[in-house]
Amino acid sequence: MARTAGMYSLELRGVDKQYAGGVKPVIALDDVDFAVEPGEFVAVVGPSGSGKSTLLNVCGLLDDPTGGRRLIDGTDVTNLSERERTAARKESIGFVFQDFHLIPTLSAVENVALPTAFDPGDATDRAADLLDRFGLGDRLDHDPTELSGGQKQRVAIARSLINEPDLLLADEPTGNLDTETGEAILGEFERVRADGVAVVAVTHDELVEEYADRVVELTDGVLSGGVRVDDRERDGDGNDSEAADPDFPWLAGDGGEP
Amino acid sequence: MTDTETDGKRFARSGRSDASGDSDASGRSWRPAPSWRPAIAMAGRNLRRNRIRTVLAVLGVCIGVLAVATLGIFGNVLALGADDAIGDVGTQIVLSPNADAGIESLSDADVAEIRRAVGEPAVIPLYTDGALVSGATDQTFTTVYGVEEPGLAFEAAEGRLPERHRQGAIVGAGIASDLGVGVGDTVEIEGAQIRIVAVLAETQTFSPVAPDDAVFLPESAFAADGYDQVLVVSESGGEAREAAESIRESVNAREDRVDIFELAALVDEIDEFFDLLGTFLLGLGAISLVVAGVSILNVMLMSTVERRQEIGVMRAVGIRKRDVLRVLLAEAGLIGAIGAVLGTVLTALIVLGFLFATPAETAVVLDPTNGYYLLLALVFGVGVGLISGAYPAWKAASERPVEALRD
Repeated sequence: MARTAGMYSLELRGVDKQYAGGVKPVIALDDVDFAVEPGEFVAVVGPSGSGKSTLLNVCGLLDDPTGGRRLIDGTDVTNLSERERTAARKESIGFVFQDFHLIPTLSAVENVALPTAFDPGDATDRAADLLDRFGLGDRLDHDPTELSGGQKQRVAIARSLINEPDLLLADEPTGNLDTETGEAILGEFERVRADGVAVVAVTHDELVEEYADRVVELTDGVLSGGVRVDDRERDGDGNDSEAADPDFPWLAGDGGEP
Repeated sequence: MTDTETDGKRFARSGRSDASGDSDASGRSWRPAPSWRPAIAMAGRNLRRNRIRTVLAVLGVCIGVLAVATLGIFGNVLALGADDAIGDVGTQIVLSPNADAGIESLSDADVAEIRRAVGEPAVIPLYTDGALVSGATDQTFTTVYGVEEPGLAFEAAEGRLPERHRQGAIVGAGIASDLGVGVGDTVEIEGAQIRIVAVLAETQTFSPVAPDDAVFLPESAFAADGYDQVLVVSESGGEAREAAESIRESVNAREDRVDIFELAALVDEIDEFFDLLGTFLLGLGAISLVVAGVSILNVMLMSTVERRQEIGVMRAVGIRKRDVLRVLLAEAGLIGAIGAVLGTVLTALIVLGFLFATPAETAVVLDPTNGYYLLLALVFGVGVGLISGAYPAWKAASERPVEALRD
C-alpha cells in the first residue's frame, strides 16, 4: 500500500474511552481528535491522571477505544481481534518505555531482535546494524545489567525500530535519565523521525517539548491541539463522503489535495 | 496491514540482512527459528535465572520419577521372581485313576484317549510304587516310578536320559546326594542290583511327582496291569488349563474316570496378587509424582507473577500469545524432562546396584519389561511438567499487556 500524500501515520477521530467505575463510568478520553504525520514528533503533556497513558495505550493498540475510530497509516484498526492487534503492533508500532523494559536474560542484540524472535529467519544482523547506528556496536553481547540508563534506552529504541514501524510511541522516554542523556536520546528520536517514522511521546519533561514539532495537552480526557489547524480546516467536508470508502472516508474527500 | 504489505516488508527486510550477512553473528548460540527452538532457548535462560528454585523443582520431579520407576520395577521383579519359582506348578497336571468310580489303574487305551484329548502337551504315563533303595553305605525308602520316556518331563544333570528307558536306574538329585551315588554306581532296589544311567537335575520348583526324591526305572520292572498316574507337561499355565479342560470334556465325559490334580488356578490367584501389589506400589510412586507436579505448578506461578511486566513487554512488542505460551510451557517441560531423565538414570543405577548387592536372578532384574517401567516413569515426568505448567503459562500469556505493563 503506497503512502498517499496527506495520509497520517496515526489518526484518532472522536475517540472516547470509558472505564467501568463505581457509580458512573470514568471517562479517560473524551471525543479526542488526534493526527500525526509521518516524520512528525508530537509531545503529549498534561497532569497525571489526565488520560495520557490511556491515550498511548489506545494509540499503541494495547487498548481499544469505547467509541470513535482509529487509523494507522491510513488503515482502520478500530475493531481488530486480539490476534490482529498483536500482529499490527508488531508490524507498525514501536514502543519505548520509561523503565526501558529490556528482558534481563537476553543480551543487547537479542533484546533488539526480540519482536522477531519467533519469526523464521535470523534478525540478528539487522539488530546489530541498528545498535551500531545508535553507537552501541561494541555492546552487542552485553547484558542489560551491564549497560547504563542511556544505553538501555538506546537498546529499547533500537528494539522499537526492528520491524520498521510507522509510529513510535514513547512513555516518558527521558523520565529515568539525566538531562544530558535525555538530550542524547531526544537526538536519537530526531534521527528516527528523519526516516519518516512518526514519534508520539507522553512526557512531563520540558526538554521533550523543546524537541517536539508540536505539543498537545490533555486535560481530563480532553485533548487540545490534537490536529493541526490547517488539517482541521480540511476536515470540514470530510463527513459527507463517508460512503465513498469505508476504510478512508476523509481521504476520499481530500484525495485531490496535495 | 494487508498481507501483501506484510510480505513486502518481509522481503525488504531479508534483502537488507543479506547485504550485511557477513557480520559476527554466525557464532552466536541464540538464533530465532520458526519452531520451538527459540522458545526452548529462552526457557532455558529463564530457568537459569533462579537456579535454586529450578534445581528444587527438578529434584521434586526426579524423586517422583525415581519412586514410580523403582517401585514399578520392584513390583515387577517380585512378580517375575514368583512366576519363575512357581511357574512349573501351573504347567504340570497329574491324572490318577478315580478309585471312587472303581477304577484302579489306567490302561493303554485310557492313555491314548488322554493323548488325543490334550493334543500338544507331553503325556507321560507312570507306574508308581514305594521301595527301599540302597547305595554303598546308606539306604532310604522312596518312590519308584516306571517310565518309558523320561526325557519328556525331566532333565539330566549327569549322564544322558535315554529316549526309551530300557534298562538301568535314573535317580533324582536328592536321592543321589543322600546315598552318595552317581552315574556308573549301582543301587540295590528290592534285592536287584541296578546301574545308574543318569542323575536328574535338581528341580527349581514344586512338582507334583517330586522327582528329586524318586528313582525312575524302566516300565518292564513293574508287573502291574495299568498305570498309576499320568503326568501331563505343558509349555504354559494356559495350555495346562486347556489340557485339563479337554480331559474333563472327553475322558471324563460320561463318568469321572480320572482325578485331575492341577495348580493352574492357584497360580492365577498368585499372579493376580502380584498384579495388585505392583499397581499398589505404582500408586505409591505416583503420589510423589503428583507432589512434584504441585511443586512445578508453584514454581511456574511464582515466576510468571514475578515476570509479569516482562511478559507484558513481549506481548506489547508484538509477540503472539501462543509464542509466549510456548516459552512458559517449555520451561515447565524442561523441568519435567530434566527431572525425569535424572530420575530414570538414577533408577537404572539403583537396579544395577541391586543386581550386584543381592542374589536376585539376573534374568529377572534385567527383564525387558522393567524397561517399560523406566519409559513409563520418563513419560510421566515430562507429562507432569507440561500439565502443571499449562495453567500458569496460559494464565500469564492471556493477561492483557496493558494490565501487565501497569506498574
